[in-house]
Amino acid sequence: MSELLEVLRYREILWNLVRRNLKVRYKNSVLGFAWSLLNPLMQIGVWYFVFNILFGRDEPNFMAFLVTGFLPWLFFSQTIMDSTAAVTQEMPLIKKAYFPRTILPVSVLLSNLIHLGFAFIVLLALFALWGVDLNIHYLWVIPSTILVALFAYGICAMLAAWSVFYADVKFIVSNLLGLWFFLTPVLYPLKLVLNKTFESPDNWVEFFLQSHLPLLKKLYVIDPLTIAVEGYRSALLHGGENFIRVTAAANATPADQAAALALQTSLRAQYPTLPYIIGAAVIAVATAVIGQIIFRRKADAFAEQG
Amino acid sequence: MSAIEVRDVWKKYRRPHVKTTSVKEAALAILRGQQGYDEFWALQGVSFEVQQGEAIGLIGPNGSGKSTMLGMLARVLKPTRGTMSVRGRVCPLLELGTGFHPELSGRENVFLNSSLLGLTRRETHQRYDSIVDFAELGEFMDSPVKTYSTGMVIRLGFSVAVHMDPDVLLIDEVLGVGDEHFQHKSFGRLLEFKEEGRTMFVVSHNLQSVGILCERAIWLDRGRMVKDEGSDEVITKYKAAVEAWERSLAEAKTRDAPAS
Repeated sequence: MSELLEVLRYREILWNLVRRNLKVRYKNSVLGFAWSLLNPLMQIGVWYFVFNILFGRDEPNFMAFLVTGFLPWLFFSQTIMDSTAAVTQEMPLIKKAYFPRTILPVSVLLSNLIHLGFAFIVLLALFALWGVDLNIHYLWVIPSTILVALFAYGICAMLAAWSVFYADVKFIVSNLLGLWFFLTPVLYPLKLVLNKTFESPDNWVEFFLQSHLPLLKKLYVIDPLTIAVEGYRSALLHGGENFIRVTAAANATPADQAAALALQTSLRAQYPTLPYIIGAAVIAVATAVIGQIIFRRKADAFAEQG
Repeated sequence: MSAIEVRDVWKKYRRPHVKTTSVKEAALAILRGQQGYDEFWALQGVSFEVQQGEAIGLIGPNGSGKSTMLGMLARVLKPTRGTMSVRGRVCPLLELGTGFHPELSGRENVFLNSSLLGLTRRETHQRYDSIVDFAELGEFMDSPVKTYSTGMVIRLGFSVAVHMDPDVLLIDEVLGVGDEHFQHKSFGRLLEFKEEGRTMFVVSHNLQSVGILCERAIWLDRGRMVKDEGSDEVITKYKAAVEAWERSLAEAKTRDAPAS
Protein backbone atom coordinates (compact mmCIF):
# COMPACT_ATOMS: atom_id res chain seq x y z
CA MET A 1 0.00 0.00 0.00
CA SER A 2 2.71 2.46 1.01
CA GLU A 3 4.46 1.48 -2.20
CA LEU A 4 1.44 2.65 -4.19
CA LEU A 5 1.49 6.01 -2.43
CA GLU A 6 5.16 6.32 -3.24
CA VAL A 7 4.47 5.57 -6.91
CA LEU A 8 2.02 8.46 -6.84
CA ARG A 9 4.65 10.75 -5.35
CA TYR A 10 7.02 9.78 -8.15
CA ARG A 11 4.32 10.00 -10.84
CA GLU A 12 6.48 12.38 -12.87
CA ILE A 13 8.87 9.52 -13.69
CA LEU A 14 5.98 7.15 -14.30
CA TRP A 15 4.36 9.54 -16.73
CA ASN A 16 7.65 10.13 -18.52
CA LEU A 17 8.29 6.40 -18.86
CA VAL A 18 4.80 5.83 -20.26
CA ARG A 19 5.31 8.62 -22.79
CA ARG A 20 8.66 7.15 -23.74
CA ASN A 21 7.21 3.65 -24.14
CA LEU A 22 4.49 4.96 -26.42
CA LYS A 23 6.92 7.03 -28.47
CA VAL A 24 9.52 4.31 -28.82
CA ARG A 25 7.35 1.39 -29.87
CA TYR A 26 6.74 2.66 -33.36
CA LYS A 27 9.77 4.91 -33.72
CA ASN A 28 11.36 4.74 -37.18
CA SER A 29 8.18 3.46 -38.79
CA VAL A 30 6.55 5.65 -41.38
CA LEU A 31 3.03 5.17 -40.09
CA GLY A 32 4.09 5.62 -36.47
CA PHE A 33 1.31 5.46 -33.98
CA ALA A 34 -1.19 4.28 -36.56
CA TRP A 35 0.40 0.85 -36.11
CA SER A 36 -1.24 0.42 -32.74
CA LEU A 37 -4.51 0.48 -34.70
CA LEU A 38 -3.36 -1.23 -37.88
CA ASN A 39 -1.68 -4.16 -36.14
CA PRO A 40 -4.84 -5.69 -34.66
CA LEU A 41 -6.76 -4.92 -37.83
CA MET A 42 -4.26 -6.73 -40.01
CA GLN A 43 -4.18 -9.69 -37.64
CA ILE A 44 -7.93 -9.91 -37.78
CA GLY A 45 -7.80 -9.57 -41.56
CA VAL A 46 -5.54 -12.63 -41.67
CA TRP A 47 -7.93 -14.70 -39.57
CA TYR A 48 -10.87 -13.54 -41.62
CA PHE A 49 -9.06 -14.73 -44.73
CA VAL A 50 -8.16 -18.07 -43.15
CA PHE A 51 -11.45 -18.91 -41.48
CA ASN A 52 -14.04 -17.27 -43.67
CA ILE A 53 -12.46 -17.60 -47.07
CA LEU A 54 -10.14 -20.62 -46.90
CA PHE A 55 -12.20 -22.73 -44.50
CA GLY A 56 -15.48 -21.25 -45.67
CA ARG A 57 -16.81 -20.83 -42.18
CA ASP A 58 -19.93 -18.82 -42.45
CA GLU A 59 -20.80 -17.40 -39.08
CA PRO A 60 -22.78 -14.23 -38.83
CA ASN A 61 -20.79 -11.22 -37.71
CA PHE A 62 -17.63 -13.25 -37.63
CA MET A 63 -15.45 -10.15 -37.91
CA ALA A 64 -17.19 -8.47 -34.99
CA PHE A 65 -16.81 -11.71 -33.07
CA LEU A 66 -13.06 -11.77 -33.72
CA VAL A 67 -12.41 -8.10 -33.00
CA THR A 68 -14.24 -8.05 -29.69
CA GLY A 69 -12.43 -11.10 -28.36
CA PHE A 70 -9.07 -10.06 -29.70
CA LEU A 71 -8.87 -6.68 -27.95
CA PRO A 72 -8.55 -7.95 -24.36
CA TRP A 73 -6.28 -10.78 -25.52
CA LEU A 74 -3.99 -8.40 -27.38
CA PHE A 75 -3.76 -6.18 -24.31
CA PHE A 76 -2.97 -9.15 -22.08
CA SER A 77 -0.40 -10.79 -24.33
CA GLN A 78 1.38 -7.53 -25.12
CA THR A 79 1.65 -6.65 -21.44
CA ILE A 80 3.12 -10.06 -20.68
CA MET A 81 5.52 -9.85 -23.63
CA ASP A 82 6.73 -6.44 -22.42
CA SER A 83 7.10 -7.62 -18.84
CA THR A 84 10.35 -9.54 -19.34
CA ALA A 85 12.07 -6.35 -20.46
CA ALA A 86 10.34 -4.12 -17.89
CA VAL A 87 13.26 -4.27 -15.47
CA THR A 88 16.10 -5.80 -17.49
CA GLN A 89 16.08 -3.01 -20.07
CA GLU A 90 15.87 -0.29 -17.45
CA MET A 91 19.07 -1.26 -15.62
CA PRO A 92 20.74 2.06 -16.48
CA LEU A 93 17.88 3.94 -14.83
CA ILE A 94 17.90 1.62 -11.82
CA LYS A 95 21.61 2.10 -11.23
CA LYS A 96 21.39 5.80 -11.69
CA ALA A 97 18.89 6.99 -9.12
CA TYR A 98 16.34 5.90 -6.61
CA PHE A 99 12.68 5.62 -7.53
CA PRO A 100 10.09 3.09 -6.40
CA ARG A 101 10.83 0.14 -8.69
CA THR A 102 7.12 -0.67 -8.89
CA ILE A 103 6.95 2.19 -11.38
CA LEU A 104 8.49 -0.12 -14.00
CA PRO A 105 5.73 -2.76 -14.25
CA VAL A 106 3.09 -0.07 -13.69
CA SER A 107 4.44 1.88 -16.66
CA VAL A 108 4.22 -1.26 -18.83
CA LEU A 109 0.62 -1.74 -17.74
CA LEU A 110 -0.37 1.87 -18.37
CA SER A 111 1.29 2.00 -21.78
CA ASN A 112 -0.63 -1.07 -22.86
CA LEU A 113 -3.89 0.24 -21.44
CA ILE A 114 -3.41 3.33 -23.59
CA HIS A 115 -2.82 1.15 -26.66
CA LEU A 116 -5.98 -0.73 -25.75
CA GLY A 117 -7.84 2.57 -25.56
CA PHE A 118 -6.74 3.46 -29.08
CA ALA A 119 -7.64 0.04 -30.42
CA PHE A 120 -11.02 0.45 -28.78
CA ILE A 121 -11.61 3.66 -30.71
CA VAL A 122 -10.92 1.76 -33.93
CA LEU A 123 -13.39 -0.87 -32.87
CA LEU A 124 -16.08 1.73 -32.26
CA ALA A 125 -15.37 3.21 -35.68
CA LEU A 126 -15.77 -0.24 -37.25
CA PHE A 127 -19.01 -0.75 -35.38
CA ALA A 128 -20.29 2.57 -36.65
CA LEU A 129 -19.37 1.41 -40.14
CA TRP A 130 -21.34 -1.82 -39.65
CA GLY A 131 -24.28 0.15 -38.32
CA VAL A 132 -24.14 -1.11 -34.74
CA ASP A 133 -25.60 1.38 -32.30
CA LEU A 134 -23.88 2.55 -29.17
CA ASN A 135 -25.67 1.40 -26.08
CA ILE A 136 -25.35 1.45 -22.32
CA HIS A 137 -24.22 -2.19 -22.14
CA TYR A 138 -20.89 -1.16 -23.63
CA LEU A 139 -19.97 0.02 -20.15
CA TRP A 140 -19.49 -3.63 -19.16
CA VAL A 141 -16.21 -3.33 -20.99
CA ILE A 142 -14.88 -1.36 -18.01
CA PRO A 143 -15.10 -4.09 -15.34
CA SER A 144 -13.86 -6.62 -17.91
CA THR A 145 -10.85 -4.42 -18.57
CA ILE A 146 -10.14 -3.97 -14.86
CA LEU A 147 -10.29 -7.74 -14.45
CA VAL A 148 -7.81 -8.49 -17.21
CA ALA A 149 -5.60 -5.54 -16.17
CA LEU A 150 -5.24 -6.78 -12.59
CA PHE A 151 -4.49 -10.28 -13.80
CA ALA A 152 -1.98 -9.01 -16.34
CA TYR A 153 -0.31 -6.74 -13.77
CA GLY A 154 0.29 -9.59 -11.32
CA ILE A 155 1.89 -11.80 -13.96
CA CYS A 156 3.82 -8.87 -15.40
CA ALA A 157 5.31 -7.91 -12.00
CA MET A 158 6.34 -11.52 -11.30
CA LEU A 159 7.94 -12.06 -14.69
CA ALA A 160 9.63 -8.66 -14.62
CA ALA A 161 11.36 -9.58 -11.35
CA TRP A 162 12.26 -13.14 -12.33
CA SER A 163 13.71 -12.23 -15.69
CA VAL A 164 16.35 -10.13 -13.95
CA PHE A 165 17.75 -13.33 -12.47
CA TYR A 166 16.83 -15.92 -15.11
CA ALA A 167 17.04 -15.22 -18.81
CA ASP A 168 14.95 -18.37 -19.44
CA VAL A 169 11.76 -16.61 -18.41
CA LYS A 170 11.61 -14.74 -21.70
CA PHE A 171 11.64 -17.90 -23.81
CA ILE A 172 9.16 -19.78 -21.67
CA VAL A 173 6.77 -16.84 -21.74
CA SER A 174 6.45 -16.52 -25.49
CA ASN A 175 5.70 -20.22 -25.84
CA LEU A 176 3.21 -20.33 -23.00
CA LEU A 177 1.41 -17.33 -24.44
CA GLY A 178 1.04 -19.21 -27.71
CA LEU A 179 -0.68 -22.04 -25.86
CA TRP A 180 -2.75 -19.71 -23.73
CA PHE A 181 -4.05 -17.99 -26.83
CA PHE A 182 -5.70 -21.19 -27.95
CA LEU A 183 -6.97 -21.83 -24.43
CA THR A 184 -8.89 -18.57 -24.60
CA PRO A 185 -12.05 -18.27 -26.68
CA VAL A 186 -10.73 -15.67 -29.09
CA LEU A 187 -10.89 -17.53 -32.40
CA TYR A 188 -13.76 -19.83 -31.48
CA PRO A 189 -16.89 -19.44 -29.38
CA LEU A 190 -16.90 -20.55 -25.76
CA LYS A 191 -19.57 -23.15 -26.47
CA LEU A 192 -17.12 -25.09 -28.63
CA VAL A 193 -15.14 -25.97 -25.52
CA LEU A 194 -18.10 -26.30 -23.19
CA ASN A 195 -19.79 -28.81 -25.52
CA LYS A 196 -16.65 -30.78 -26.18
CA THR A 197 -16.49 -34.44 -25.20
CA PHE A 198 -14.11 -37.19 -26.19
CA GLU A 199 -16.52 -40.02 -26.86
CA SER A 200 -13.94 -42.65 -27.66
CA PRO A 201 -10.55 -41.46 -26.45
CA ASP A 202 -7.85 -43.17 -28.52
CA ASN A 203 -4.71 -41.83 -26.92
CA TRP A 204 -3.62 -41.00 -23.42
CA VAL A 205 -4.03 -37.23 -23.85
CA GLU A 206 -7.64 -37.59 -24.88
CA PHE A 207 -8.17 -40.13 -22.16
CA PHE A 208 -6.75 -37.77 -19.59
CA LEU A 209 -8.85 -34.89 -20.87
CA GLN A 210 -12.02 -36.96 -20.93
CA SER A 211 -11.54 -38.30 -17.43
CA HIS A 212 -11.03 -34.84 -15.95
CA LEU A 213 -13.39 -33.01 -18.27
CA PRO A 214 -15.75 -31.35 -15.76
CA LEU A 215 -12.87 -29.98 -13.69
CA LEU A 216 -10.91 -28.83 -16.74
CA LYS A 217 -13.94 -27.04 -18.12
CA LYS A 218 -14.46 -25.28 -14.81
CA LEU A 219 -10.83 -24.15 -14.85
CA TYR A 220 -11.23 -23.04 -18.43
CA VAL A 221 -14.23 -20.89 -17.61
CA ILE A 222 -12.79 -19.41 -14.42
CA ASP A 223 -9.65 -18.24 -16.24
CA PRO A 224 -9.86 -14.44 -15.92
CA LEU A 225 -9.00 -14.18 -19.61
CA THR A 226 -11.98 -16.30 -20.64
CA ILE A 227 -14.21 -14.14 -18.47
CA ALA A 228 -12.70 -10.93 -19.84
CA VAL A 229 -13.06 -12.05 -23.47
CA GLU A 230 -16.64 -13.15 -22.85
CA GLY A 231 -17.23 -9.92 -20.96
CA TYR A 232 -16.12 -7.88 -23.96
CA ARG A 233 -18.28 -9.93 -26.25
CA SER A 234 -21.35 -9.74 -24.05
CA ALA A 235 -20.89 -6.03 -23.63
CA LEU A 236 -20.20 -5.15 -27.23
CA LEU A 237 -22.12 -7.66 -29.27
CA HIS A 238 -25.17 -8.51 -27.30
CA GLY A 239 -25.86 -5.84 -24.82
CA GLY A 240 -25.16 -7.75 -21.66
CA GLU A 241 -26.95 -10.89 -22.84
CA ASN A 242 -24.89 -13.98 -22.85
CA PHE A 243 -23.05 -14.37 -26.08
CA ILE A 244 -23.94 -17.93 -26.87
CA ARG A 245 -27.61 -17.34 -27.34
CA VAL A 246 -27.43 -14.53 -29.76
CA THR A 247 -24.74 -15.78 -32.06
CA ALA A 248 -27.41 -17.76 -33.77
CA ALA A 249 -30.02 -15.08 -33.35
CA ALA A 250 -28.25 -12.77 -35.73
CA ASN A 251 -29.02 -15.04 -38.66
CA ALA A 252 -32.38 -15.81 -37.29
CA THR A 253 -34.11 -18.98 -38.35
CA PRO A 254 -36.53 -19.72 -35.51
CA ALA A 255 -35.28 -23.30 -35.23
CA ASP A 256 -31.70 -22.11 -34.82
CA GLN A 257 -32.77 -19.67 -32.19
CA ALA A 258 -34.65 -22.27 -30.26
CA ALA A 259 -31.72 -24.68 -30.38
CA ALA A 260 -29.31 -21.97 -29.29
CA LEU A 261 -31.61 -20.98 -26.47
CA ALA A 262 -31.86 -24.54 -25.24
CA LEU A 263 -28.09 -24.91 -25.35
CA GLN A 264 -27.72 -21.63 -23.51
CA THR A 265 -30.07 -22.72 -20.77
CA SER A 266 -28.34 -26.01 -20.26
CA LEU A 267 -24.91 -24.35 -20.15
CA ARG A 268 -26.20 -21.80 -17.68
CA ALA A 269 -27.28 -24.64 -15.46
CA GLN A 270 -23.84 -26.26 -15.70
CA TYR A 271 -21.86 -23.02 -15.52
CA PRO A 272 -23.75 -20.47 -13.47
CA THR A 273 -22.23 -17.22 -14.64
CA LEU A 274 -21.91 -15.20 -11.45
CA PRO A 275 -19.81 -17.61 -9.35
CA TYR A 276 -17.34 -17.89 -12.22
CA ILE A 277 -17.11 -14.14 -12.60
CA ILE A 278 -16.48 -13.77 -8.87
CA GLY A 279 -13.98 -16.62 -8.99
CA ALA A 280 -12.11 -14.98 -11.86
CA ALA A 281 -12.12 -11.66 -10.00
CA VAL A 282 -10.64 -13.33 -6.92
CA ILE A 283 -7.96 -14.98 -9.06
CA ALA A 284 -7.13 -11.68 -10.75
CA VAL A 285 -6.83 -9.75 -7.48
CA ALA A 286 -4.81 -12.53 -5.85
CA THR A 287 -2.47 -12.65 -8.86
CA ALA A 288 -1.95 -8.88 -8.68
CA VAL A 289 -1.19 -9.00 -4.95
CA ILE A 290 1.13 -12.00 -5.17
CA GLY A 291 2.90 -10.55 -8.19
CA GLN A 292 3.46 -7.29 -6.38
CA ILE A 293 4.79 -9.04 -3.27
CA ILE A 294 7.23 -11.11 -5.33
CA PHE A 295 8.35 -8.00 -7.16
CA ARG A 296 8.92 -6.04 -3.95
CA ARG A 297 10.95 -8.87 -2.45
CA LYS A 298 13.28 -9.01 -5.41
CA ALA A 299 13.44 -5.27 -6.11
CA ASP A 300 16.23 -4.44 -3.67
CA ALA A 301 18.59 -6.78 -5.46
CA PHE A 302 17.96 -5.43 -8.98
CA ALA A 303 20.78 -2.90 -8.86
CA GLU A 304 23.28 -5.59 -7.86
CA GLN A 305 22.65 -7.66 -10.98
CA GLY A 306 25.08 -6.83 -13.78
CA MET B 1 22.99 19.64 11.57
CA SER B 2 24.40 16.66 9.80
CA ALA B 3 23.40 16.14 6.19
CA ILE B 4 24.61 12.56 5.99
CA GLU B 5 24.72 10.02 8.78
CA VAL B 6 26.20 6.58 8.24
CA ARG B 7 26.19 4.20 11.20
CA ASP B 8 28.02 0.91 11.19
CA VAL B 9 27.15 0.06 7.62
CA TRP B 10 27.96 -3.35 6.17
CA LYS B 11 27.33 -4.54 2.64
CA LYS B 12 27.49 -8.13 1.52
CA TYR B 13 27.69 -9.16 -2.11
CA ARG B 14 27.36 -12.52 -3.67
CA ARG B 15 30.01 -13.25 -6.22
CA PRO B 16 28.76 -16.10 -8.40
CA HIS B 17 31.29 -18.68 -9.56
CA VAL B 18 29.77 -18.97 -12.97
CA LYS B 19 27.02 -16.54 -13.49
CA THR B 20 23.77 -18.40 -13.01
CA THR B 21 21.34 -17.10 -15.53
CA SER B 22 19.35 -20.16 -16.44
CA VAL B 23 16.97 -22.31 -14.48
CA LYS B 24 18.81 -25.43 -15.55
CA GLU B 25 22.13 -24.23 -14.17
CA ALA B 26 20.45 -23.16 -10.95
CA ALA B 27 18.74 -26.54 -10.62
CA LEU B 28 21.97 -28.43 -11.30
CA ALA B 29 23.86 -26.32 -8.78
CA ILE B 30 21.28 -27.12 -6.11
CA LEU B 31 21.35 -30.83 -6.96
CA ARG B 32 25.11 -30.89 -6.65
CA GLY B 33 24.84 -29.11 -3.34
CA GLN B 34 26.89 -26.20 -4.59
CA GLN B 35 26.18 -22.77 -3.30
CA GLY B 36 27.20 -21.30 -6.62
CA TYR B 37 28.61 -18.12 -5.14
CA ASP B 38 31.09 -16.70 -2.65
CA GLU B 39 30.00 -14.11 -0.22
CA PHE B 40 32.19 -11.15 0.42
CA TRP B 41 31.79 -7.97 2.40
CA ALA B 42 32.29 -4.87 0.31
CA LEU B 43 31.86 -2.65 3.34
CA GLN B 44 32.58 -3.66 6.90
CA GLY B 45 31.25 -1.44 9.63
CA VAL B 46 31.80 2.03 8.23
CA SER B 47 30.47 5.02 10.20
CA PHE B 48 30.78 8.75 9.64
CA GLU B 49 28.80 11.96 9.59
CA VAL B 50 28.90 14.79 7.11
CA GLN B 51 27.77 18.24 8.19
CA GLN B 52 25.61 20.40 6.03
CA GLY B 53 27.68 22.39 3.57
CA GLU B 54 30.69 20.15 4.00
CA ALA B 55 32.57 18.70 1.05
CA ILE B 56 34.05 15.32 1.69
CA GLY B 57 36.12 13.07 -0.53
CA LEU B 58 36.17 9.30 -0.54
CA ILE B 59 39.44 7.79 -1.72
CA GLY B 60 41.01 4.37 -1.79
CA PRO B 61 42.17 1.67 -4.21
CA ASN B 62 39.85 -0.20 -6.59
CA GLY B 63 37.53 -2.56 -4.77
CA SER B 64 37.65 -0.65 -1.50
CA GLY B 65 33.88 -0.07 -1.48
CA LYS B 66 33.75 3.57 -2.55
CA SER B 67 31.13 3.20 -5.25
CA THR B 68 29.12 0.83 -3.08
CA MET B 69 29.01 3.50 -0.40
CA LEU B 70 27.89 6.09 -2.92
CA GLY B 71 25.26 3.77 -4.36
CA MET B 72 23.82 3.25 -0.90
CA LEU B 73 23.76 6.98 -0.18
CA ALA B 74 21.84 7.39 -3.45
CA ARG B 75 19.45 4.63 -2.28
CA VAL B 76 20.24 2.59 -5.36
CA LEU B 77 21.69 -0.14 -3.13
CA LYS B 78 20.55 -1.24 0.30
CA PRO B 79 22.93 -1.78 3.21
CA THR B 80 22.98 -5.37 4.49
CA ARG B 81 23.41 -4.07 8.03
CA GLY B 82 23.49 -0.69 9.66
CA THR B 83 21.61 2.50 8.96
CA MET B 84 22.17 5.58 6.92
CA SER B 85 20.23 8.75 6.38
CA VAL B 86 20.62 11.61 3.96
CA ARG B 87 18.72 14.83 4.56
CA GLY B 88 17.38 17.03 1.79
CA ARG B 89 17.20 16.69 -1.94
CA VAL B 90 19.86 14.32 -3.20
CA CYS B 91 21.32 14.55 -6.66
CA PRO B 92 23.31 11.49 -7.65
CA LEU B 93 25.87 12.13 -10.37
CA LEU B 94 26.30 8.41 -10.99
CA GLU B 95 26.58 6.66 -14.32
CA LEU B 96 26.43 9.92 -16.23
CA GLY B 97 25.03 9.70 -19.70
CA THR B 98 23.33 6.40 -19.00
CA GLY B 99 19.59 6.12 -18.90
CA PHE B 100 19.26 8.02 -22.14
CA HIS B 101 17.08 6.29 -24.69
CA PRO B 102 18.96 6.11 -27.99
CA GLU B 103 15.85 6.49 -30.15
CA LEU B 104 14.56 9.61 -28.41
CA SER B 105 15.80 13.12 -29.08
CA GLY B 106 18.13 14.95 -26.73
CA ARG B 107 15.22 17.13 -25.71
CA GLU B 108 12.95 14.20 -24.81
CA ASN B 109 15.77 12.58 -22.90
CA VAL B 110 16.42 15.73 -20.88
CA PHE B 111 12.86 15.60 -19.62
CA LEU B 112 13.03 11.89 -18.84
CA ASN B 113 16.37 12.18 -17.06
CA SER B 114 15.33 15.25 -15.07
CA SER B 115 12.23 13.53 -13.78
CA LEU B 116 14.40 10.62 -12.73
CA LEU B 117 16.48 13.01 -10.66
CA GLY B 118 13.37 14.53 -9.14
CA LEU B 119 12.41 17.58 -11.21
CA THR B 120 8.85 18.23 -12.27
CA ARG B 121 8.04 18.95 -15.89
CA ARG B 122 7.61 22.62 -15.20
CA GLU B 123 10.92 22.91 -13.36
CA THR B 124 12.61 21.20 -16.30
CA HIS B 125 10.98 23.64 -18.71
CA GLN B 126 12.37 26.55 -16.70
CA ARG B 127 15.89 25.13 -16.79
CA TYR B 128 15.84 23.66 -20.27
CA ASP B 129 17.67 26.47 -22.07
CA SER B 130 20.31 26.62 -19.41
CA ILE B 131 20.81 22.84 -19.57
CA VAL B 132 21.29 22.96 -23.35
CA ASP B 133 23.65 25.94 -23.06
CA PHE B 134 25.80 24.25 -20.47
CA ALA B 135 26.08 21.08 -22.55
CA GLU B 136 26.78 23.20 -25.66
CA LEU B 137 24.45 21.04 -27.72
CA GLY B 138 22.07 23.71 -29.05
CA GLU B 139 21.61 22.43 -32.59
CA PHE B 140 21.55 18.73 -31.69
CA MET B 141 18.68 18.69 -29.24
CA ASP B 142 16.10 17.46 -31.74
CA SER B 143 18.23 14.60 -33.07
CA PRO B 144 18.04 11.15 -31.53
CA VAL B 145 20.69 10.52 -28.89
CA LYS B 146 22.00 7.51 -30.84
CA THR B 147 23.54 10.00 -33.27
CA TYR B 148 25.54 11.70 -30.48
CA SER B 149 29.20 11.06 -29.76
CA THR B 150 30.17 9.61 -26.37
CA GLY B 151 31.40 13.01 -25.25
CA MET B 152 28.13 14.68 -26.20
CA VAL B 153 26.10 12.14 -24.26
CA ILE B 154 28.22 12.59 -21.14
CA ARG B 155 28.08 16.37 -21.44
CA LEU B 156 24.31 16.26 -21.61
CA GLY B 157 24.13 13.87 -18.66
CA PHE B 158 26.37 16.08 -16.58
CA SER B 159 24.47 19.20 -17.54
CA VAL B 160 21.11 17.72 -16.55
CA ALA B 161 22.53 16.57 -13.22
CA VAL B 162 24.04 19.92 -12.26
CA HIS B 163 20.79 21.72 -13.01
CA MET B 164 18.95 20.04 -10.20
CA ASP B 165 18.70 22.09 -7.07
CA PRO B 166 20.30 19.60 -4.72
CA ASP B 167 21.04 19.87 -1.02
CA VAL B 168 23.41 16.94 -1.31
CA LEU B 169 25.50 16.05 -4.36
CA LEU B 170 26.86 12.56 -4.77
CA ILE B 171 29.66 12.56 -7.29
CA ASP B 172 31.21 9.38 -8.67
CA GLU B 173 34.34 9.82 -10.75
CA VAL B 174 32.90 12.53 -12.96
CA LEU B 175 35.68 15.03 -12.46
CA GLY B 176 37.28 14.17 -15.75
CA VAL B 177 34.41 13.95 -18.23
CA GLY B 178 34.53 15.48 -21.67
CA ASP B 179 37.36 17.40 -23.30
CA GLU B 180 39.78 19.77 -21.59
CA HIS B 181 37.38 22.70 -21.96
CA PHE B 182 34.39 20.85 -20.56
CA GLN B 183 36.48 19.48 -17.70
CA HIS B 184 37.33 23.01 -16.62
CA LYS B 185 33.75 24.09 -16.97
CA SER B 186 32.31 21.17 -15.01
CA PHE B 187 34.92 21.51 -12.29
CA GLY B 188 34.05 25.21 -12.08
CA ARG B 189 30.38 24.29 -11.67
CA LEU B 190 31.22 21.96 -8.80
CA LEU B 191 33.24 24.71 -7.11
CA GLU B 192 30.18 26.97 -7.44
CA PHE B 193 28.07 24.32 -5.73
CA LYS B 194 30.59 24.27 -2.93
CA GLU B 195 30.47 28.05 -2.54
CA GLU B 196 26.67 27.91 -2.45
CA GLY B 197 27.04 25.79 0.65
CA ARG B 198 25.72 22.52 -0.72
CA THR B 199 26.89 19.27 0.79
CA MET B 200 29.17 17.30 -1.52
CA PHE B 201 30.30 13.72 -1.39
CA VAL B 202 33.00 13.01 -3.94
CA VAL B 203 34.41 9.66 -5.02
CA SER B 204 37.48 10.00 -7.18
CA HIS B 205 40.91 8.69 -8.02
CA ASN B 206 41.89 12.20 -9.00
CA LEU B 207 43.52 13.13 -5.71
CA GLN B 208 44.38 16.64 -6.81
CA SER B 209 40.74 17.48 -7.52
CA VAL B 210 39.66 15.90 -4.26
CA GLY B 211 42.20 18.07 -2.49
CA ILE B 212 40.82 21.23 -4.10
CA LEU B 213 37.12 20.42 -3.70
CA CYS B 214 37.08 18.81 -0.29
CA GLU B 215 38.26 19.92 3.10
CA ARG B 216 37.86 16.45 4.52
CA ALA B 217 38.53 12.97 3.15
CA ILE B 218 37.83 9.40 4.07
CA TRP B 219 40.23 6.66 3.02
CA LEU B 220 38.69 3.25 2.53
CA ASP B 221 40.58 0.02 2.07
CA ARG B 222 38.86 -3.32 1.47
CA GLY B 223 35.64 -2.14 3.02
CA ARG B 224 37.12 -0.62 6.16
CA MET B 225 37.79 2.96 7.03
CA VAL B 226 41.52 3.68 7.33
CA LYS B 227 41.44 7.44 7.99
CA ASP B 228 38.89 10.21 8.32
CA GLU B 229 40.68 13.55 8.59
CA GLY B 230 41.47 16.75 6.72
CA SER B 231 41.81 15.99 3.02
CA ASP B 232 45.45 17.11 2.72
CA GLU B 233 46.63 14.83 5.53
CA VAL B 234 44.63 11.87 4.27
CA ILE B 235 45.83 12.33 0.69
CA THR B 236 49.46 12.63 1.81
CA LYS B 237 49.21 9.50 3.93
CA TYR B 238 47.38 7.60 1.21
CA LYS B 239 50.02 8.53 -1.36
CA ALA B 240 52.76 7.50 1.06
CA ALA B 241 51.05 4.17 1.65
CA VAL B 242 50.69 3.52 -2.09
CA GLU B 243 54.36 4.41 -2.64
CA ALA B 244 55.47 2.19 0.22
CA TRP B 245 53.44 -0.66 -1.21
CA GLU B 246 54.88 -0.17 -4.70
CA ARG B 247 58.38 -0.05 -3.26
CA SER B 248 57.85 -3.29 -1.42
CA LEU B 249 56.62 -4.89 -4.64
CA ALA B 250 59.72 -3.70 -6.49
CA GLU B 251 61.99 -4.94 -3.69
CA ALA B 252 60.33 -8.32 -3.69
CA LYS B 253 60.99 -8.53 -7.42
CA THR B 254 64.68 -7.65 -7.17
CA ARG B 255 65.07 -10.00 -4.20
CA ASP B 256 63.51 -12.87 -6.12
CA ALA B 257 65.34 -12.15 -9.36
CA PRO B 258 68.88 -13.36 -8.45
CA ALA B 259 67.52 -16.47 -6.82
CA SER B 260 65.90 -17.69 -10.02
